[in-house]
Parts: sequence; C-alpha cells; structure tokens
Amino acid sequence: MLNNALYRLEPQAGETIDRAQTFTFTFEGRAVIAHPGDTIASALAAAGVHVISRSFKYHRPRGVMCMAGHCPNCLVQVGDEPNVRACQTPAEPDMVVKPQNVWPSLKKDAMAFTGLFSRFMPVGFYYKTFIRPQAMWPLFERILRRIAGLGKVNPATPPDRYDKQYLHTDVAVVGGGPAGLSAALAAAEQGATVSLFDENPQPGGHWRYALPAPDDGPLPDLAAQAEAHPGITVYPETTVLSCYEDNWLSARRGNRLFKIRAGAVIFATGAYDRPLIFDNDELPGVRFGGAAQRLLRLYGVQPGKRAIVVTANDGGWRIAAGLQAAGVSVVAVVDERPESEAGAVSHVLQADARVFWRHTIRAARGAGAVEGADIAPLDAQVRPQFIAGDLIVINIGLTPANGLLYQAQTKISYNEDRAEFLPETLPAGVFAAGRVAGSHAGATELAEGRLAGRQAAAFLGLAPAPPSAEITALAGQKAAGPKRSSARVDVPGSQKRFVCFCEDVTDKDLETAIAEGFDSIELLKRYSTISMGPCQGKMCAANTIHLCARHTGQSVAQTGTTTARPPLAPVSLGVLAGQNMEPVKRTALDAWHRANGAGMMVAGLWMRPEHYGNPPAEVQAVRERVGLIDVSTLGKLQLTGPGAPDFLDRIYVNKWQKLGVGRVRYGVMCNDEGVVMNDGVTARLSETTWYTTTTSSGAGAIFEWMQWWLQSGWGGEVHVTNISEVNAAFNLAGPRARAVLQKLTDADLLNEAFPYMHVRHLTLAGVACMVMRIGFTGELSYEIHCPTGAAHYVWERLLDAGRDFGIAPFGVEAQRILRLEKAHIIVGQDTDALSDPISADMAWAVKLDKADFLGQRPLRQVAQDGPAQRLVGFTMARPGLVPDEGLQIVRPTAAGPEIIGWVTSSRHSPTLNQTIGLCWLPAPLAGQPGATFTIRMNGKLEEARVHHGPFYDPQGDRLRI
Amino acid sequence: MILLNCPNCGPRNVQEFRFGGEHNPRPAAPLAVDNAEWTDYLFLKANKLGVQKEWWYHRAGCRLWFLAERHTQSNQVLKTYCWTARPNREGETCVE
Repeated sequence: MLNNALYRLEPQAGETIDRAQTFTFTFEGRAVIAHPGDTIASALAAAGVHVISRSFKYHRPRGVMCMAGHCPNCLVQVGDEPNVRACQTPAEPDMVVKPQNVWPSLKKDAMAFTGLFSRFMPVGFYYKTFIRPQAMWPLFERILRRIAGLGKVNPATPPDRYDKQYLHTDVAVVGGGPAGLSAALAAAEQGATVSLFDENPQPGGHWRYALPAPDDGPLPDLAAQAEAHPGITVYPETTVLSCYEDNWLSARRGNRLFKIRAGAVIFATGAYDRPLIFDNDELPGVRFGGAAQRLLRLYGVQPGKRAIVVTANDGGWRIAAGLQAAGVSVVAVVDERPESEAGAVSHVLQADARVFWRHTIRAARGAGAVEGADIAPLDAQVRPQFIAGDLIVINIGLTPANGLLYQAQTKISYNEDRAEFLPETLPAGVFAAGRVAGSHAGATELAEGRLAGRQAAAFLGLAPAPPSAEITALAGQKAAGPKRSSARVDVPGSQKRFVCFCEDVTDKDLETAIAEGFDSIELLKRYSTISMGPCQGKMCAANTIHLCARHTGQSVAQTGTTTARPPLAPVSLGVLAGQNMEPVKRTALDAWHRANGAGMMVAGLWMRPEHYGNPPAEVQAVRERVGLIDVSTLGKLQLTGPGAPDFLDRIYVNKWQKLGVGRVRYGVMCNDEGVVMNDGVTARLSETTWYTTTTSSGAGAIFEWMQWWLQSGWGGEVHVTNISEVNAAFNLAGPRARAVLQKLTDADLLNEAFPYMHVRHLTLAGVACMVMRIGFTGELSYEIHCPTGAAHYVWERLLDAGRDFGIAPFGVEAQRILRLEKAHIIVGQDTDALSDPISADMAWAVKLDKADFLGQRPLRQVAQDGPAQRLVGFTMARPGLVPDEGLQIVRPTAAGPEIIGWVTSSRHSPTLNQTIGLCWLPAPLAGQPGATFTIRMNGKLEEARVHHGPFYDPQGDRLRI
Repeated sequence: MILLNCPNCGPRNVQEFRFGGEHNPRPAAPLAVDNAEWTDYLFLKANKLGVQKEWWYHRAGCRLWFLAERHTQSNQVLKTYCWTARPNREGETCVE
C-alpha cells in the first residue's frame, strides 16, 4: 500500500477533504489511501506518485501539471472509462485506476523508444509516412492502432444512463469566482433570477486556493451570500460547454446535459496558467502555480519537497511564501523582472532561498521526474547553472479563459501592454467580468463583477444602466494595475520542448510545419494537430499564435486565432445523446398482432405486422376466401368547407368538382416539378366534407404541404384537419368479404346499393364506421375506418364474423404481393424523385385540361414530348428466379453493357406461380408487350419480358362483384 | 439555437419549427411565363448573404406557416409575420 502521509500536511483552512474517513482505491494495482473530497490526483500526490500517465506520441512520463482540468497530463483509465481527468475526478472507494498509453507498465513502457526515433517522426508524420506501398496498408493500420489513440474502450461496457434538463433564467453567470459571485449578487439584487454555473465542487474560484494579494483587502464570503439569496441558483460541478445564438448555453453535470436559455449571460470564467516553453517543459514535477496552490490549500498536500519557483509577477512570490509556510523548502525564486518592478515581496522568503532577478528557467532536468532546473540570465549567453529540487513551479502568466466569449461572437484582441487576449467588443446581452476580462486584483474583480451584474439587469430592463463614468473608471483601474503575464512564451534550448502536451507537438514541429508552408494559424492547427487534443487549445493555443507570429514575421494581432467551437471541454457522447427517446408509433392493435404471431417491421415511425408466419398462405386466403389487414398507419385528412374541391383540384392531378357525395376516387399528388409526391383515395362524405388518405410515411409531410398552400394563398373556405391517429383503419379483402361484413350490419351491402369506389357510413357491431369500397389488393374489399378507441373491438368482431368463412389476418408482405399482382404502384418504392405520373403509367389520372394545378406545366411538356422512361410490368423467362429490387437492367453493346433501366418491385406470385415485377425501361422498349430485355443478376444477364397491365384479373372483374 | 418569434405563440426555440425555404412566390399563371422564369421559380435559389425573407412552420406548436426576415450571416431574426391577415390569440393581426 502506498503511504499517503508522505506529502499530506496538517489540516489546512478551507480544505475540501474529510480527514475523519479514509478509504482505498487502486492505481496500477497498488492500493492508494484517500479521504472523501480527494480527487484521484490529489490522493496520488499525497502518496508521492508523481508519474500518472504517458504521453500520446512519444510515451513520455507525465504527471499532474495544472490540477484544474485543463491540461491532458493526468488522463487515466477508470474502470471501463478512458480519458478521465484524475485532477478533477473525485476518488471513490475501490476505484480501479490505470495509467494510459503504457505497455507493459507505467515505469517500463515499450513504446517510449519512439522518443529516441522522434527525428524520424516529424510533424505530419502520418501524412508523409504510411502512404506507399499500398499493399502494406493493413499492416500500417495494425501498427497505428496499437500506437495511437487515448485509452481503451471496452465494447462490452453496459450503457450508462443519461438525461437532459432545460433551464430558463434571466441571467446566467458562468464561473463562480469572486467576479461571478458578485455579478450574480448584483443582478439578483435588481430582481433578476440568476443561475450560476461553476465547474468546481464549491464556488469561490481562485479565492478558494490562492493566497490573497496585499491590496485584496478582506475577502467577503460571497459564496455563502449567493447560496442564501433566493434569486440565485448555484449549479456546482457544472461545466458550461458551449454558447450559441440568443444566449443558448449547454452545460454538463455528471451524466446530465443542461440546455439553458438566458436573457443575459455574464462570463466570469477566470483564467488558467500559461505554460512556458523550455527543455523538458512537461517533466513530472513541473507544475503550474495554480496546481501548487490547489494541492496545498484544497487537499493539504505538498506539491513537492524542494521547490524552484519560476515567475514573472508578484503572485509567484506569494506562492513561494505559501509553499514555505507549508514546510516546502523554497530553493530558488527565478523572476524574469528586474527587482525594481517587483512589489515588496522578497523579504517573505527563508534566508537560504536563492533569488534570481532577470533570470529564467532553461531546462527541467531529471530521469522520469524533476531532479533540478537549469537557470540562466535572460539576456546574456551565459552557461546555465543547475539548481537541485524536485518541484518546478511555473507562474509566468495567465491565459484568460475566453473560449465561451469567442463562441458568443465577442471581438477579442491581443493587448500588447498586458500580453493577453482580452475582450474588446461584447455582443448585446453578453458581459464579461473578472480575470477573463483582464481584472487582476481582488477589489477590481469584485467591482467589475458588480458592474456586469447591473449591466445585465439593465439589459433586461430591470434596472437603470450604470453610468458610463463608472465603466470608464473601472477600465482605467484595470489598465493601471501590475502586469500579471509575461510576453515571453519560450526560452532558448536544444531538447524536446512541447507546445502541445496532448499530441506531443514541439516548437520544432511548428517551425517545420510553417517552413513547409502551413503558415496560417488555421492551416498550422490542422496540419500539426495542435490544439486538437483533449485540452482543446487551453495549453497551446496562445503560445502557438506567438510562435507562428514570430516565424512568419507578423504581429500577434495579424496572426489571429483559430475559431473557437463547441464543446469547450470534452464531453461523452452519451451526455449529448441523453436518454434513448426515439419515438415509436404503434397502432391500436399492436398488442393483438404480437400476441398472434406477427413478425413486426419498422415502417417510418410505425411498427407494422410484416406477416403472421406465412405470406403466400396469407395471399391465398385473400384470393380464395377473405383476409383482414391493419392499415391504421394510413394518413387520414378531413377537408371541410365549400372550397374543398377547388383546393383538391389544385393539389391533385385529378378532377374533383364532379365527384358525387358517397363516391371515392384514387388521386395522385405532384409538386410543381411534376414529380409524384403521394397517392391515396379521397371520399366525398357530404357536399362540404371530404376524407383523404395518404401513404403511411407521407402523412405528416403531406399535411404540412397542404397547410403551406392553404396558408400562403390557396386557403379559400376550406379547412384541413389531420385525423391520422383519430381513426383506425382495416382492409377486409377477398371474395367472401361482403358475407363477413354483412354479419355485423343490417345495411344493404349488395353491389347495387354499395358499389365499387363508393363510401358509406355503416354501423358495424354497434360502432359508427366509415367504409370505402376500394381495391388495392385486387379483390372485393372494404376499407373500414373506425374510432381508434373502438379499433380492437371492431377488429375482433370482424374476425369472429369471418371465422366460418376462413378469414385470416394478413401482413404488409402479403399486401405487397397482392398489389403487385395487380401492378398497383407504391409511391416511393416504384417512383422516385424524378418520376412523373404520365411516365409511371398513370396518365389516365392526369387532367391536363383543368385550371392551374401543381405540376400542370411540366406534365403538359411530358404529355407533348412523350415519356423517355416508363414504368411497366415484367415477368422472368427462367422460372424461380426473383431479381432483387434495385437491380440494373442492361443492354449488351459492343462497348460493354449499357444500363437502360432498373427493377423497382419484384416478387414470386403464389397466385400465378411465376415471378412478377415492375421496372423502369426506355419508352420504346416499354411500349412493346412481350419484348425481352436483360436484368443483371450476380454478374449474369437474365432474360425478362415486358408486361402491360395487371398480372392478375386484368379487367378488374373481381373488384366489382 | 436561435429563438424564433411565432406570430401566434411568441418566442420559442427554433427546434419547434420547420424551415420552409426562401420566400419564392409561385408565378400566378404558370402556363403564361417563359421557361427562364419558371426555372428560376423552381430551381434557382437566391442564397442571399444578408436579410432573407423565408418561410417557417410552427410544427410543434400552432401549425402556422409564417414569414421571417433573417440575416443569413448573423442568424439574427429581424421580424416575423403572417402571410395573411389573421388574428392571433390577442386578436391582433400579424401581417407585416
């Protein structure tokens, strides 16, 4: 077991751990002791484990560097989950933590040799290397998959549960530091409802761990005030991932995704430590100032035993003093400023601490972890001196956390004076405060937060706008304060110097890429993959811009920045997906179908019975006796009003004015390109009431299509209601259908009283139904529409009534065969986005002589020119051969086979015992019944014959019995 | 995600709506126009950079088709209104 007392301090004020309890988890198989409140990284640091993982490309040892969830150096595998940030993830009892990118072990990694060959792995390595010979690609792939990638995914991992929550708020405050908290309080005091999001377990920001500056004054407990304010809701451990138009934010807490609509947004996102580029700049033991302070103050852990502090501001001196107070020996403070620019800070150090003014670090030294640092003066070519120590604290400046401000379309520019990218022009309703906006001292952060809170309230009309003099005064206060960031991004050196820790990109790689011509910042990013790793540019983006500017001879402002895109922080796909909410539509008879052996199929959103075990037998039942199919999925629209026939005339190619009450007509709907959109039957129920059915899949779209024409000018005296789910529908089909139906009603069903293509209101087994006599299957058939609530009852009464007649339920597959035997088309199956009704063998429906209708102009042209391709039936010469739908029809030519058409539908017809189908053919060929052509099946050409009209009952006598 | 102001229901997430394309009026007499004008109506979109007049449908709401004037670069919606004079819930007509 690892001893956690090695680096653990006495209790610290404000620490987050509960020392009363301890538990263990394992890291690489060894037990680690932790307290509740520890993160994986803090517990490992307490136990003196400084190497946590290995890097992506060169497999270099890496350890906790930022302790803030920004850098990629502490990514570990926890159980089945890869890429877990050890510094942010709470340690839990019995957690199984493993390092990443190691084999066989963290200490002895076989791939670390890649570092030795790194000169052969230049930038763009993959683009340049694994190209030829092509025969080697499978081998290359195996090698690359072994080397590349972060962590391991176990495909057997059971899916986790995820959800989403919508939030609405007047003001959203992102960041719970001093600026964010004071902004939230100021806005709430003006009456705004405020939601404050902070990624840490408690709000407080850098005040939770940073040692106060002398001019900060006493720190008010803003977090407690915010928690207590009724207008403020605090969301801890919540990371805001993105900001879109109209202040629409997304945020993640655990497995939950928040979608937030805010009236105004205040970004108080703070800043993170900026790395300095020097030799071995990521050796474990190199930590940022923020990491050193977090370990000390939040977890009571010494970040090292002998510290070398590298700084360019007074904050570094406060960190040195804090380390010293915690029993860490401060060996040296290396400040790049002249002593004259520093505040009164140096006296706080122990007597034997060495102080270097106008010096900086040149290299971290050590095998696997820091053993010391090379220190050299800034401007002299002096040989560096080595100073021993096990901790190098880098505190040379801050990068404002402005990713979300960029996403919010803020104009951000490089401020030469302060050596930082700072917001310049904010969009309406977006505000920035605190360290992200350039505030440095506590008093300024508080003032700017309060100002932003009042501005947000004013934007929402809740308060008067703050006077502009106040805004100007604050800007002056910010500009006059001490500089916190150095303009220096690197120092001279000769060894590995990483700009990007995620993908192991060195400054040399960037120089090479720029020399190769990738000299615009966006190209440089894509080619070198810099800023594309897990840190998403937080560590490297600012430094890359500086290096690019230097190598191209441009200013930082001219170089520009890469576009900031969501998400700001890595997010698992499960969080974005949320619950499995795919809607499924089931008919009222769904349970009956399943209980009676139906094989169900997906049809759009609907579940439909494909068959009840034996489609040919179901076909036979319909042809010889009687069958019943659930067609509740049909779209059903009711049109009311005297304008209905005029409207139907415009959107169908058919004529409707003279359709009598009680009659039914098949209709085809086209768009203005003359392409078939939908088909179905329309019944005239009364002078002013019409009932239209659409295809199952087209119901929603056709309703919206009709609404569009109604609401954009064709809406005189007609109203359309979508009653697709109000009514269920069944088709009772077969020569005995009348006899079955007659058992449920006293109405006269004889052919003279209720002929083909007529509609009647009938009471069936006591239920008021609308019944249409139509014939998709080619047999005497009744389409029965009844209220969905009565569907199950009517269905069972029909089956009861049909028992003596040999009734059988039939599914979609049998229906497809039945309709194909009649050569009835299915829109979308036999037609596509170029099919017009004249070419699709439905010229009889197109009434070109009526007044304006959708498709009239192009259809007139088709009628005049004649179709180029036609949809016709076919049979196969060879028995038993059924070509797949979609196969090509080809004509052999001297130059090779020429594609002249394609198969749209094909089945074996049990009734005719032969293969039948529909296909598109060139019009001259399609016009000759019996003409032969060839279908390409499995590389062979199989002979087929053109067939005109229905294959079964061509005169339609069986429909009219 | 932008907020879209349905003339009938007020501001809603754009997710509730279906985009209906550019406002592209159909020639009043299709048989009377020449091929160029007909082709223009059917196939040629302006694809404007700037304020575009376009159709939206409140699919998950009141089922109103309405017009919006939206800047295609900033995505800012300047105004929304009905094609025909119809009263909304407050009895106000919502035409331009």
